[in-house]
Amino acid sequence: MSSITLSTVLRRRSDVRYRRIEGEAVVLRQSAAEVLVLNEVGASVLDLADGERSVRQWIEELTHEYDADADTLARDVLTFAGELHDAGMLEEVSGEAKP
Amino acid sequence: MSFGEGFLRFPDLFPGRRGGEPWGERSLVLEVAGGPYLVAGLSAAQEEAAHRKFVGLCRPADAAAAVAIHLFRAPSTDFLDRDVRGWEYTLDRDYSPGAVLLAGLRLMGRIDWTPALTGGLWTSHPGGEEWVSTFENFFRVLTAYRLLEQGSALLHSAGITDGTSAWLLLGPSGAGKTTSSGLCLARGGTVLSDDLNAVEMPPQQPMLTRLPFTGDLGDRSGGPASFPLAAVLRLVKGEEDRLLPLSPGRALAGLVASAPFVNQDPWRREDLFGTLERLARSVPAYELVFSLGGGLWDILKGIPK
Amino acid sequence: MSLARVVATTWRENLLFAVLVELTYRCNLDCFFCYNDLALRGEPLSREQYFRLFDDLRDMEVLNLTLSGGEPLAHPDFLALGARARELGFAVRIKSNGHALRGELARRVRDEVDPFMIEVSLHGATAATHDRQTRVPGSFTRLLANLAELRELGLRVKINSTLTAWNEGELAGMFALADSLGLQLQVDPEVTPRDDGGREPLQVAASREGVRRLFELQFERARTAEANQPPEVARGGDDGTMPTPLHKHCGAGSSGIAIDPYGNVYPCVQWRRPVGNLHQQSVRDIWRGSAGLAEVRDLTVEVKDMIAAQGKGSHLLNFCPGSAAAQTGSPLRVYPVAAQRKELMEEVMAEEAKRPLLPVIG
Repeated sequence: MSSITLSTVLRRRSDVRYRRIEGEAVVLRQSAAEVLVLNEVGASVLDLADGERSVRQWIEELTHEYDADADTLARDVLTFAGELHDAGMLEEVSGEAKP
Repeated sequence: MSFGEGFLRFPDLFPGRRGGEPWGERSLVLEVAGGPYLVAGLSAAQEEAAHRKFVGLCRPADAAAAVAIHLFRAPSTDFLDRDVRGWEYTLDRDYSPGAVLLAGLRLMGRIDWTPALTGGLWTSHPGGEEWVSTFENFFRVLTAYRLLEQGSALLHSAGITDGTSAWLLLGPSGAGKTTSSGLCLARGGTVLSDDLNAVEMPPQQPMLTRLPFTGDLGDRSGGPASFPLAAVLRLVKGEEDRLLPLSPGRALAGLVASAPFVNQDPWRREDLFGTLERLARSVPAYELVFSLGGGLWDILKGIPK
Repeated sequence: MSLARVVATTWRENLLFAVLVELTYRCNLDCFFCYNDLALRGEPLSREQYFRLFDDLRDMEVLNLTLSGGEPLAHPDFLALGARARELGFAVRIKSNGHALRGELARRVRDEVDPFMIEVSLHGATAATHDRQTRVPGSFTRLLANLAELRELGLRVKINSTLTAWNEGELAGMFALADSLGLQLQVDPEVTPRDDGGREPLQVAASREGVRRLFELQFERARTAEANQPPEVARGGDDGTMPTPLHKHCGAGSSGIAIDPYGNVYPCVQWRRPVGNLHQQSVRDIWRGSAGLAEVRDLTVEVKDMIAAQGKGSHLLNFCPGSAAAQTGSPLRVYPVAAQRKELMEEVMAEEAKRPLLPVIG
C-alpha cells in the first residue's frame, strides 16, 4: 500500500526514460527493462514529477489544464502517484516542496 | 606497458581496418626504393610539406604505384600528451601474421598484407614539419617491409659511394656512421645516407640504393640512385685505420642487428634472415677500424671489387 | 493502451520514435562481412550538430536512440554525445563490438551514458571462428573477458550474431555460451551486401542447412523454455518486438530512421536510400518534408499488400524492403534468401507440428 500523500514530493527515478505519444507516455524503466504506457493523466504526472513540487501542487496545476471534476482528478493523481512510486518509476524526495 | 599505452588514450580503440576520415583528397607518388608509393588522402598543406621534404622524389598521383599509403585524420584526443624533453623517439609495435601495428607520438599506423602490402596512417597533425616527421617515421617502417617483400633490406647504416661502387658501413648508434661519412665526404666521396640505406638483391649483384632517410648527412633528393655493393663493413672507432676480415656469420649478425623494425618481427624474421644470409654470402665483409685521420677512404677504395 | 498500439500509432501517424546514428565508420576490428561503405565520403557531423540533432529528436518525442558505427566508441566525442543523450532522456542503445569495453572506458560508459542496453557482436563459439571474422587475433578472448566485466559493472548487455557459413556449425555452442553468461543471444540468419552494393560479404552467407539448423535450434530452445510464441527471427533493423497490425509492413521512414556519419538520413539502417542530409536541413524538416520519405512511407504500404498477396505463410518471409532494394534493386521484390527462409521455416514448423505434445507411454 502506497505511503504517498498530498504533501509528498516525488521525482522520476534516474533510470526512467519516457516520451509523450499523442498525449500518452511510453515509459521505459531501464533497470528492470520494463516498458509501460500511461494514459494522459499518468503522463502528466510523470511530467510534473520534477522533485520540486508536491502531489498537491500537481493537482492544482492539472485542475487548470483538464476540464475534469476536481475530486476525481485529485483521486486519480494520488492513485497514479502511488502506483508509479510502487512500480519504481518515482521516488520520494526528502524536504519541503518549493512554492 | 602494453601496445600503445604510452601514446594512446584508448589503445583498445586502435584502428582494426583502414577506414576513417581522410585529411583531404590530394595524392602523390613517391619514387623511393621498393616503390613507387602512392600516398592518398592528403590535405593541401600535407601535400605541400611532402613536396618540400621529398624534393625530386614526388610524382603526380596518376603515376603508377606499387604500394599505397592511406592517410586519415585522428583527433588530438586520441593521443596522450607526452613530455618529449630528453625522450628518444620510439614506436610501439605490435606484430601479427597479417599486420604490423604502430603507435607513436600523434601516430597510429598499420601495415597490412591483405590483399597486398598497404599502409594506413592516422595522425592529428594537419601539416607542416610535425606532420612530415610523423609521416616519415611511418614511411620508414613501411619501406622496410616493402623491401623485405622484394627480397631486399632496409639497414641502419652509412652508405658511401665513389660513383661506381658503394660500401655499407654498419654499427649501432654511436659507432661512427655519421663521423665516418663525414670523413669520406671530406675526401671526395658521396654519402647516400648516414642513417638508413636499402640493399636490393637482384640476381647479379647486390646494390646499395639511396633512401630519403638521412641523419645529418646525405643527399635526400635525386632519385633512387643505386650502386653495386662492394663490401659490408662493421665500424669500430680506433686509433688507426685497419681492415680485418669478417666471417659471413659475424657479418650476418651485424646485418640482422642493423635491420630495424623487421628484426624484432617474429612472423617475418625468417624472411629477413634469408635475405641477409644471401647478402652476407654475396659480398665481402670486414671489420673497419677507423681513426679521425680520414684514412678509411683509402681503405674503402682499396677493397678489391 | 499497450505498447503495440503505441507503435501502431507511430507507424500510422508517422511519428518518429527510434533513430539509429552511425557515429563513425572507424572500427577497432575488421570483420570480413562488414556492411559499412568505407569509401563513402562527406563532411562528418560536428559535436554541435549532433547536439542540435538530439535536441530536435527530443522535441519530436523520439525515445529510442541507438549509437552505432563502425565502432561508436571510436568516435572522439562518443562519451560527450552519449552523456548528452542521457541528459535529454533518450533510451540509449549502444551497438558495439565490445572490444574496447573494459576498464576506464566501460566505467565511463556506465557512469556518463547509462545506456539502456549494450549490444555486442559474437561471431562464433570458438576463438578460431570469431577471430576469423573479426580478423583481430585475441578478439574472442577479449570479448568474453569484457562481457564478464560489463556484467559486474551492472550494465545490461545483449549479444547479436549473424549466421554465416563459418559459424553455422557452432550455433549450439554459441547459445550455450550466451546461456552461461546469462545473456540473450539474437541471431540474424542473413548476411547482407555492403552498403555500396558490394557482394563480398555474401561469400560467407550461411548454407541452407545452416539456416534450417538455426530455426530448429530456436524451436528446440523455445520448447525447453516452455515458451508459447514462435521463435523470433531477427531481421536487420527490426528488433523483433514490433508487431505489424497496420497497413504498413514496417516502421522504416514512418517511425524510424538511420543517420550516417556524414549526415545522410535513411529510412532505416538496412534501406540505404538517402532521404535528406542534416548539413542542409534539420531532421524535423526532413521528417516533415522529404519527398523520399513520403515515397518510402507509401512503399511500406505497397510492401504490406505485396506480402499479403503471397498468401498463407507470407509472414515467414521475414521480408525487409531495404534488403530487397539492395539485393534486387526493388524494395517490392521477394529476394531469394527471404523465399528460402519461408520454405525452411515452413518445413521446420511442419516437423514441429508432428512432434507429440505428451510423452508417448508405451
